[in-house]
Parts: sequence; structure tokens; C-alpha cells
Amino acid sequence: MTESLRIGVFICHCGTNIGGVVDVPVVAEYASTLKNVVHAECNLYTCSSDGLECIKSAIQEYELNRVVVASCTPRTHEPLFRATCEGAGLNSYLFEFVNIRDQCSWVHMHEPELATEKAKDLVRMGVAKAALLEPLEELSSDVIPSAVVIGAGISGMTAALSIAKNGFYVHLIEKEREMGGLLSRLYKLYPTEELVDDFLEQRIKTVGGHERVELHLSTSIKNITGYVGQFKVILDENGAEKSIDCGVIIVATGAKELEPEGLYEYDGKRVITQLQLEEKLRRDALNVDGIKNVVMIQCAGARGEVVRYCSKICCMNAIKNAKLIKEANPDINVFIAHNELQAYGEEYELYYRAAKKAGVRFLRFPREKRPKVRTSDGKLIVDVFHDRMQMNIPLDADLVVLSVPLVQNPDAESLSKLLKVPLGQDRFFFEAHVKLRPVDFATDGIFLCGTAQGPKDIEESISQGYAAASRATIPLAKGYVRSAAITSSVDEAKCVGCGICESVCPYGAIAVVETEEGRRARVTGVKCKGCGTCGSSCIKKAIEMHHFTDEQLIAQERAAFVIEAVVSG
Amino acid sequence: MKDKSVLVIGGGVAGMQASFDLAEAGIKLCLVERTPSIGGRMAQLDKTFPTNDCAICILAPKMMDCYRHENIEVLTLSEVIAIEGDIGSFKVKICEKPRFVDAEKCTGCGDCARVCPMGIKSKFDMDLRVRSGANVPFMQAVPLIYSLDRDKCMRCGLCESVCGKDAIRFNQKPGIVERDVSAIIVAIGFDPLDPSGLTEYGYRRYDNVITALEFERLICAAGPTGGRVIRKDGSEVKRIAWIQCVGARDTRDNRPYCSSVCCMYATKEAILTKEHYPEAETFILYTDLRCFGKGFQEYVNRAEGDYGVEYIRGKPGEIREKEDKNLEIFYSPTSDKVEKLEVDMVVLSTALIPSEGVEKLAEILGTELDEYNFFKLKDPYNPTETTRTGIFVAGYCQAPRDIPECIAHGSAAASRAMEVVLGGSYDRIT
Amino acid sequence: MEKISDVINRTKAYYCVDCGKCTSACPLSRFGDYSPDGLVERALLGLPVQPDLRVWSCLTCNRCKEACTYGVEYPEFIRGIRSLASKEKETGVCAHGELFSLMTLFTFTHEREQERLKWVSEDLKVSDKGDVLYFTGCLPYFDIVFRDLGVNTVEIARSTVRILNKLGISPVVMNNEVCCGHDLFWNGDVETFKELAARNIKNIKDTGAKKVIFSCPEGYRTFKLDYPEFFDFDFEVVHISEFLSEQLEEGKLELRKIYKKVTYHDSCRLGRHLGIYDAPRKVIAEITGDFVEIASNKENSLCCGTSGWTNCDGISEEIRRERLKEGIDTGAKIMVTSCPKCLIHFKCHMSNRKGEYDIEIVPFENLVARAMELEGINEG
Repeated sequence: MTESLRIGVFICHCGTNIGGVVDVPVVAEYASTLKNVVHAECNLYTCSSDGLECIKSAIQEYELNRVVVASCTPRTHEPLFRATCEGAGLNSYLFEFVNIRDQCSWVHMHEPELATEKAKDLVRMGVAKAALLEPLEELSSDVIPSAVVIGAGISGMTAALSIAKNGFYVHLIEKEREMGGLLSRLYKLYPTEELVDDFLEQRIKTVGGHERVELHLSTSIKNITGYVGQFKVILDENGAEKSIDCGVIIVATGAKELEPEGLYEYDGKRVITQLQLEEKLRRDALNVDGIKNVVMIQCAGARGEVVRYCSKICCMNAIKNAKLIKEANPDINVFIAHNELQAYGEEYELYYRAAKKAGVRFLRFPREKRPKVRTSDGKLIVDVFHDRMQMNIPLDADLVVLSVPLVQNPDAESLSKLLKVPLGQDRFFFEAHVKLRPVDFATDGIFLCGTAQGPKDIEESISQGYAAASRATIPLAKGYVRSAAITSSVDEAKCVGCGICESVCPYGAIAVVETEEGRRARVTGVKCKGCGTCGSSCIKKAIEMHHFTDEQLIAQERAAFVIEAVVSG
Repeated sequence: MKDKSVLVIGGGVAGMQASFDLAEAGIKLCLVERTPSIGGRMAQLDKTFPTNDCAICILAPKMMDCYRHENIEVLTLSEVIAIEGDIGSFKVKICEKPRFVDAEKCTGCGDCARVCPMGIKSKFDMDLRVRSGANVPFMQAVPLIYSLDRDKCMRCGLCESVCGKDAIRFNQKPGIVERDVSAIIVAIGFDPLDPSGLTEYGYRRYDNVITALEFERLICAAGPTGGRVIRKDGSEVKRIAWIQCVGARDTRDNRPYCSSVCCMYATKEAILTKEHYPEAETFILYTDLRCFGKGFQEYVNRAEGDYGVEYIRGKPGEIREKEDKNLEIFYSPTSDKVEKLEVDMVVLSTALIPSEGVEKLAEILGTELDEYNFFKLKDPYNPTETTRTGIFVAGYCQAPRDIPECIAHGSAAASRAMEVVLGGSYDRIT
Repeated sequence: MEKISDVINRTKAYYCVDCGKCTSACPLSRFGDYSPDGLVERALLGLPVQPDLRVWSCLTCNRCKEACTYGVEYPEFIRGIRSLASKEKETGVCAHGELFSLMTLFTFTHEREQERLKWVSEDLKVSDKGDVLYFTGCLPYFDIVFRDLGVNTVEIARSTVRILNKLGISPVVMNNEVCCGHDLFWNGDVETFKELAARNIKNIKDTGAKKVIFSCPEGYRTFKLDYPEFFDFDFEVVHISEFLSEQLEEGKLELRKIYKKVTYHDSCRLGRHLGIYDAPRKVIAEITGDFVEIASNKENSLCCGTSGWTNCDGISEEIRRERLKEGIDTGAKIMVTSCPKCLIHFKCHMSNRKGEYDIEIVPFENLVARAMELEGINEG
């Protein structure tokens, strides 16, 4: 620190929220006695426009180079005060927030004297840290105005088209020879019962034909490097290697059907899966002559059998196929043996009712007593234990259809490693936040949509495709990304390249690389979220967190106890 | 084209997400919210399934981000009253209702609330708490600007005398503002059904039958009872039962659809009850357990296995109140018997229905509603397009969906609005 | 000829999700081995639903239909099953030695003209032709059969005519009235029911009546909902309580107050079947200042335990006990009912348990007649 410290402290009354418990003038008086504090004042409402004016004019008048505000919570007000400092010409990271409301006046509201003492302690700690703050710059990085969408199924196509319409170039990558994904193997959609081929044809034409969409069929991904705004994707396009630079990546790799080997006498002939049934219906290859009874079994391989989860769409899919078969062949008996029937939402419940009206019959079995398929005299029989009637119902079956769950594609593992994005326990890609960020990855610049994230129907896949496009368009439209200045930094002299930091970083922001001095960890500032996990894991104490350095934090701790050293005069 | 702005109607999670995406992409927009604060229904929840995150804790930063964003103009206590024009050039009239407080001056200190002599039932707390006539709907409201209850205000002037910022304005009038926008997104959410008409359950007749959203407020630590689930007589619950599909999947009142989220929120409420009262017994009486989302089945497994929540399959036909105000629930788990379950509190997981006023709004917007009053889509596989070009829809008001689906839907609507503003795209679908 | 699949389709039984709500609301299921949805499930899966005596136990009280949120019309379903069963010559156990099923047929198969109008006493003014007709139904027969129970069902008829007289109406009463056919219809014999219906309709048309007033909810329901399925007619049908409620609103009804605590039992037919809950209450509220609702009221009302005189047994008694206990729990001294069947069943139960029930079952019409200070009421 070459310049002399000139710290300004602003204590807020917050009306009576703080002022009604803590003796604010006394705390301000106290603050003015602290070392390096050249100005201390109290405000009725520091966050109000005149409170902010006070800060600005004090910075000018007293030539402050550090500002401490003791008021409510940084969660809501830190950005405001930082912006105020910035507006007065002071780097916004030379600002320190002390919470004397939630952590003081609110929790000690019946002990005003002790609360005042605590407020003094907290202010003293804040000032001690402020003295050690350094100005920080937010890094800015350009964003290449194009996107790579991995997977040309329905969600990938939707995302690609939307981004293209927003004015950006899109590379749509597909490992198969044709677009359409799993959807192209289906027969009809629920609940509209339109033909998949009609539905897809229009969309494939529009997507493929868009001037800003470049299609890469029969293409797989070899490598991905970079970070948000500056990704490099290496492709194997039909045997030839190609390199694409892009700003954002969307994962839309879809899912596949579980193969129910060893379950329910599955043989692919008389006991088949729903997808196999659909493929037969598509080709008009379902031989109905020999069929009198069709029995569908729900949750085959799901909800605790092979996979833990419910695959969301199997109930409606079965209902659709059952209804189609029944309506085309009223003399065939169609049964669906289910446990918890997932006909949720507005349309699905209505479609379920329509299937019942059409004559599809439903039997509910308890989860612990799943149906059993057996043969008797060469005939198939499905024993369904009827939950409500508490008795076994043996159903003759000429065709048994297993409603199996969707599972993750086998090549997702390698993609997840290339992108450094996680897979969840159910092996589907794991989004940034299950509730609030369903189509984002924790890593900036990479997004997710469709069944790659988890089983879902076509409407939701389309919705997520649009959602991912929206999220991806943000950096593209902005043209740049700014990282917060609170990142980690590595002292390469101390670093031994052990790699612990890399393994614990949730954002893939720190990695061990080869340098002239050997293997060292390096931070990509733009990816770093400043969570501190690497800093606290580093066994060599080689990593410091900007704005939360060990020195700053220790000074803060010491100030809690050692008073004399910090009080001047 | 980039200067052209968007109108978002509704400040719940879907509306906020749509707004945030648009704003971050550099598009200016106006977010209109009918109540005094953004946040919507999620702000009323204690925790969210299946992660059991504290709802307001994860929501408040989103609310602040939205409010403070330079591209977002948030108008609360406001409603859209007229729309003219077409995609690319809508002219919108918005009525800003008076708060009777100068929004520029109010700092949210709450001194007015402390002196106001009037009490009003807090809608946010489902009428379970009496708030001051000068109030914010909840402590984390955004904006944190007080308003005076128009109906109850006596103009006694006490608030005026204590307001350090001279922010009280008794004579404030409604204001009309006009905005020119290229696209509109409707995200007005839902209302919980009032189950008084379903007389078999005794809501409002029996002391200890409440709705799920009322329960949410009770169990919430910031709620009217500080997180204690108490009966009318003040005692804490020991045996509590949830009844699913109350008014939903019900042809009697033309609500044959499923509200999608109730099985999971009942599971959550049961888990929270066990966390507050480990000795309590919790029962969920359901018909089909809707556990289809990511992590839902695992959540139910935890509820059953780790917390001991008991799931009973059987929709009750009748609830009777005993003299001690306990409740007897008649249900039939298998066809050979009718059982009686005695509990001290019943929570009705009611249907979630389109918001009050949706018909009027649809008329103003010129968009169609389906027979259940959800916004109708032009095409079922274009999940955010209403029947009027340029007006998009997001969230529960289009169809029942949970929070992550609403957020994705909000982003999806934003992407369509982006196509209009950034791409000048006026065509429909694909 | 109808098959079981036709019955399923006609009554929308396919919508059943076997949630059990109907069973938990069903008075029979409460006390015995019965399940509405159990029967439906068996039918849907093609399992046999007959012969099964339990098919005849259903009270057709509509509690299940009222409760069902999926749209299954169970009472109509059971009626359909009974139709199929009766074609196989299966029947339920008819109480009172099949007396009433015989009586039903007796009224129109016998060649000799009936002498139905002996109950019309001197003070009553009636006509052969006119605008308003009072359909008496089986009240005179019940009066004879159940005299020992003190039901005096004929007084209901007399009270009704007295009330109408006071309002200036001389109702037509028909000597050639035949049974409305309610029990036959619900017990599956649709063909005979239609013959009775045709007879009644013709006879009523012959009187020129434009409005037909009922005191019996079963007759009323049958004329209002079931006759129109098979026949056209243009006379209006109305229950005496609806008629009086209208008169009350028009200020034409003068009622003296009776200062006793009164409760009201909604009968299945007037209540759940026809949705008439408020009309009788409006009138009763005028009469007593102390009306108290019974716990299970209006659409949640409990049945009187027997329907169509079929399968009356110990379970029926349990059902009646529960209902009477509810009545007593209100603290009321009088429980008013608008259905003569309910009256009979309750009184029967109470007569076998003298002293156990301190409550009086009073027919609605008698209560009103008392309140209108109409003389000569003999309630025995």
C-alpha cells in the first residue's frame, strides 16, 4: 500500500430497523476513532437517493479511497453501494459491507446496549478488512457470435432455429445421417394424434433450410476446449476433421429406450417395447389377425426396477398406443397394467379419459407386486395383482408391450468429460440448479435441453429448446461476457500442480497446465465464480481469493478481539 | 429493432425469468405486476420440492436482479387496461393504482406500519395474519415500498406524522401510462381453488381443515405462526393428513384436469412437518401419485423411507368433525373395506386454477382461452404462442406445470420475443 | 338387447379410476360387504357381476354419484345390471313378502276399477278435471299396511289437499292413478315400468291438468327424470315444497310459528337426485325460529336405509340408527322429512326400539298444515 488510507464509514439507521436498537450515533462516533478512518457519518437511510449522494460527496470531499457501509444486507444492497462508489470514481471493490441489521439489530432487538457494542465490533472488523482491500477489475471477454448445438432431435432443432432467427450463426451437429432423433422412430404424437412424419417433415425443412443454420450430419465430437464466448469444437464430420469456433454450446443429445433384457420374458417378438410397437405401427406391420388381447405393462424397468426414477412419458405413450390400437380394432381387448398413472396436467388427463371411453381398460398393481409374465401351453399370460380388489387377475396376452423408461445415451459420458459438465445420479446431464436453472449448466456458456436433461415429452422438449436458445442468445447478443472480479488466483511459486483444486472446482475454471516451470494450476477468470472451494482445498496455500485474501480475513478476525492495535489515538 | 421493447404481464417466476433473459440480451421491457410486489406464488412457499430449498432465499436474488436491471421497468400495483396494434407495434395502456405513498421517497423502513391503527387480513398469508393498514405484502417484497390499504384507511395521519421521508400521499390518484412494444408475454400464474363448495370436506365449517397454501404459511418460519403448525385451539399438530385432488380431476365442477404439482407439494409439506415435529404422524391420501419429474420419485422414496410419511391410496368420500374438533376421514383402500382415519388436522391439496380476472385480461389482449380458462395455444407443439400473433404466454396460466418448467417456459417465451425484436421475425412456428 | 358393455358405455362406468371415493361414501359399504367401484371394476375387466345378491342391495341413494369426480353414474349402472339380471330371472329379496311388488302390478293389471279415493274426507275439496292435479301415489296403501307403525301416510295426502285448498286450489285427484313405477324401474323391470308410465300419462292428460303436484319425492323424480326418457308430455311437474316456497316468496303463504327445535332430513330423491335442498328449508325456516342443520345435510345427507323394498336387512337398520342418532345429536325434537318412504323406514326402526329415540318424525306436509292452522290433522 503506497498511498495513505482514507477510509469513510457510513452507519445507517435504516429508520428504526437499526436505529431503534443500536445507538447509531455512538457507533459512528466510535468509527471515527478507528485507525485510517478519516470520515464517519450516520444516515437515516444510506440506500436512499440522498444517502447515496452523501457517500458520493464524501468520497470527493474527504478524498476517500475506501468506503465502509454498515447497514442491512449485502444480498440486496451490495450491488447498489458498489455502483455508487464506481459512480464517484472509486473502484467498486474498495467497498466493504458490514451487516448490522440482520446480524445485529434484528437478532438482538431486546438487548440494545449489547447490540450497540456488537455493532461497534462489526464495524471495527469491517474497517480492518477495508484497509487491506485492493482495487479489482472485472474481466471482459468477447463472445464469438455463433452457437454449436449438439444433437438434431426435436429440442436441438428448436434451439438451433430460434438462435438463427435471432440473427446468429448456428452449427447443428448430429451423429446420425438424418435429423429428427428418437422422434423420427415414432408413429403418432399424443394428444393430437398427428403423424410424426408430417410433424417432422415441416420442421426439418425449415431448420435445415435456414440461411444461418449449418448442418453437420454423420458428425461426432472429438474435442472441446475454451470457455464462454471462446469455445473451440473439433468435429469428425464423415471422416474429415473440422474445427469450429463458437461462443456458446447447447447439449441436446437426447436419450434412448432401456432394453429390458431379462425382464418380463422380453423376447422382442411377443413381448416387445413401446418403441418397437410404434415402429411396427409406423410400417403398418402390426399383424392384428392373431391378436385378441394386448397387455401393456407400465414402469417396466423403472421406479426401482433397474432405474430409480419415473420416466414421465411412458404412461401417456402407452395410452396413446393403446387408444390407437383399440380404435382401429374395436374387437381387440387392450389392457394397461399400471401403478401410479402419470396423466398429469391439463391435456393428459383429458386424453386418458378419452382412451378409457374408447375402451382401453386399466388395472392398477401395487409397486411391490409387479405383474408377472408366464407361458402356459405356449400361450402368454400376464398375472396382474389388482391393488384395489386384492386379487390376481390373469390376463391372456397375444402381445405384451413393456413401457420402459428413457435412459441416457452411452456416449454422454465422454461428452460430459469433454465439456467438463456433470451427469447426475440418474446419468442424465445435471443442470445448474434443479429448480431455478433447468437449462443452464453451472459452467457459463453451455446449455442443456431436451431428454438429455431427463425424460420429457415433445412439448416440453420444444419448450426447453426455446429456453436454451434464449439463455444462449444472451451472451451472443451482448457480444461480451464480464466476469466478476472476485476470482481465485494462483501463486505459481507455491503451486506444485497436485490437481486437487481442479478436481473440486464445480465450474471447470481452474486446471493444471504445463508451464516452463512444470505443472501449475491456472485460473480462467471468466469461468471462475469465486466460490472459494479451490482456495480452501489447496494444501500449499498457493491459492488466494481476490477480495477474501487470507490476510484480509485474518485482519478481520483479529479485529474482533484485539482492540488496541487498530484504534488510533 | 433492438430498441423496440417488450411487455411482460405478471411478475412471478415465469414472468421474471422471461424479463431477465430479454433484459440480459439487451432488450428493454416493462414488467407489469398486479400486486404490490413481484415474486408471485413462489414467495408464499416455505420450501420447494424436491430440493427443499428455502423458497424466498433462492427467489429474492432473482427478484432483486429483475428490479435493478437497467433494461427492466417494473410497475407494481399495475394492470394492463387496453391494447391496440399488432406484432411489432403494440400500443399498451397500463393503469398504475395508487399506493398512497411516494415510491421515489419511501425507503421501506416500516415506521408507518408500526403506527397505523387499522388491521387488514394479509392476502399473502392467506388471511391467516392481520397486517397493518400501511404495509408491504411480505418483508422481502420487491420493491420494498409501502402502500396504504385503500379501503380501510381512515386518513388519521399517524403514518404521515412519523414518516421521516415525507412519503405519504393520501390524494394519490391512479395513473395511466402508455408503452409501445413489439411483443407481449403473459405470465399471470394461478389462484388456489377455494374448496368451500366441496362440502364433503368441511372447509370453513370444521375448525381444523385448511388448504395447502394456508399450511405453507403456517409452516414457514416467516409466516404468521413462526413455523408452528397449530390448530384453531392453538395446540400443535400430532396427526395430520393431506387429501389430494380436491377439486381437481373433478368433473362435477368442470375441472377434469390434474394440477400437476400437488402430489409433490403435499410430500414436501409432510416432510417439513416431520422436520418440525419428528413425532408427528403424516398421511397423504391420493389417487395417482404424480411423481414424474426429475428427482421426484427419489423424493417420495425419502419421504416414505427416511421420514415415515404414510401414503394411502384412497380418495376420501367424507370427513366428519368430532367433538374434540379432531377429524374422521372415511376412505376405502381396498374394495372390501371402508376405513376411518382420525387426525387432528386435514390439509386439502386444492386444484390450482387460472387467476381471477383472466377472462377480462384475455378479452383486453384479444387472445383465446380454452374451456378451463387456460390460455389457448395456436398450435399444441408451439408451447408459448397464444392465438394472437405477437402475444406469448409463459408459466402456469397456459397449463399446470412446476417451477423449473415455468422457468424454462418463461425463457422459451423470451426466445420467441427475442426473435421478434432481434430477428424481426413475424412468422409463425418453425 | 342391452349387453353389459352397453350398460358401461351408457353410464360412463369406463371413467372409473377405482379411487374408492364412492365406496367410502356409500352407506352400505360403511356397514357391510359392498363396494360400488368393486362392482364396476369387475364389469370393466369382464369378470362376472351376476348372479350376486349384493347387486340388489344398492340404495340408489346417489351418494356415490355425488361423490364421484370422474363422472361415473353408478346408480344408473346398477339399474342396468339389475335389468340384465332380471332377464335371467334373478331378483333381490323383496321385503314384506313381495307385497309391494304385487301391489304395483295390482294397480293396473286388475280389471276391476280401484276405489282409491276413500281417503278424501268431507272437508277436502277435489275435482275430476282442472289445471292442477295432485298425484297421490301409494300413500293410501302404506297407510293400511303400516298402520301399526303409526305412519298415517294418508294424512300427508290430506294435509297436501288442505294446503292447496287454503291457497284456493281444488286439485284433481285421479281414481285411476296407477303406481308411478319407481320401484320397478330401479329394480330393473323397465318394460312393466313403461306400461305404468303410459297409463299414468294418458290418465293425467285426460284430466286436462297442466301442473301436477307431488308430495312423494320418488313419484316426483320418476315423472321428472325418468318418464321423459320414454314419453312426451307437456304438463309441468313440481314438488309441494317447491310450490310452497314459490307461494312464500309471492307473499301468499301465511304460516304460524311453531316454537320447537326442528331439523330436516333430506331424502335421497328430493335431495341428491333432484337437487332440491333450499325450497323445503325456506318454508320450514318460516315456521320455526329454531331450525338446526343435521350434521350430514343437503348433498351429504344420509339415506334412510332401504330402497325399493329390496334387501332390507341388518345393515339397513345400522344405516337408520346412524341417521336417527344424527337427528338426536342436533338437539331437535322434530325431524321433518319430505319422503313417505323415509318416514316409514324410520318409524319402523323406532317402533322396534321403543324409548330409544326421543325425536318425532314429522312429514313436511303435516308440519305446514299445522302451521297454516288447518283443522283435522290426525297423526294418530
